[in-house]
Amino acid sequence: MRMDETLVSADGKNSRAVLCQRCGCRVLSVGTATLAKRELLLPSMKKKSSLADESNPDTELLVEHWLVHDMFTFENVGFTKDVGNVKFLVCADCEVGPIGWHSLEEKSNFYVALQRVRHE
Amino acid sequence: MEEDILTTLKILIIGESGVGKSSLLLRFTDDTFDPELAATIGVDFKVKTISVDGNKAKLAIWDTAGQERFRTLTPSYYRGAQGVILVYDVTRRDTFVKLDNWLNELETYCTRNDIVKMLVGNKIDKDNREVDRNEGLKFARKHSMLFIEASAKTRDGVQCAFEELVEKIIQTPGLWESESHNRGVRLSDEEGGRGGSCGGYCSML
Repeated sequence: MRMDETLVSADGKNSRAVLCQRCGCRVLSVGTATLAKRELLLPSMKKKSSLADESNPDTELLVEHWLVHDMFTFENVGFTKDVGNVKFLVCADCEVGPIGWHSLEEKSNFYVALQRVRHE
Repeated sequence: MEEDILTTLKILIIGESGVGKSSLLLRFTDDTFDPELAATIGVDFKVKTISVDGNKAKLAIWDTAGQERFRTLTPSYYRGAQGVILVYDVTRRDTFVKLDNWLNELETYCTRNDIVKMLVGNKIDKDNREVDRNEGLKFARKHSMLFIEASAKTRDGVQCAFEELVEKIIQTPGLWESESHNRGVRLSDEEGGRGGSCGGYCSML
């Protein structure tokens, strides 16, 4: 799926606010995140994925993300408990997710997958 | 223009198991999606932005996520917290009685003695109430806590609770000034003149 180029401003930032697909909760304000391409595996969002059963991960490879470097850049977001050395990001208001990814080894990188969110 | 970020605050939610601490944080609970992931892994903490007097405060809200069952809340959970929301279930007196234990624990581990406390009597939408409003109010007064009754189900009072708590923290400048040195702008000459903070800020979202 090709991404919509109008989502990114000339300086590589998000030109529209980032919202939860499900409840519209505001995740990131305009111009606070940078587009970053990186292959990240996120558990499926809609299906019942059993994360406890790691032998059968129902995951999706996602490449385009909004990247921020400080958790307080987020307007609203939830962090799951650690899964290995990863914390997944979920909506703060309805907890749908994962909408993003954070590795404990990269303390100042927080990724939100473009395909897992809505743009205002 | 974006509003200025006033400060970032650490808020804890504590109370017995099953009183609805986690659901206090949920504003939407329809079934379009399956929030399986969060339910399976558990949410560690949330960042929420709240507007108080035209300024934005960013909250890092920590829920015990079931650890209270095993009495394993660590001192680091409490460290640096500026606000705490103490929750009981109005339909279960035992959760009200246990509040004293929670206050003791808070006193033991909190690094500040001026932490702002709010008592929340939850689940008022149920009809088998065992703790009436006055009891909650009395307990809150005795321990200098803000008080609100709430129902996460109807979202009554929940937003209000957070706003009041943040308001009160902001009115206690020693509690947050040191936290804001590298984050945005300080509140200008807003302090003072804002009398009792209980009630009056219930904007139901």
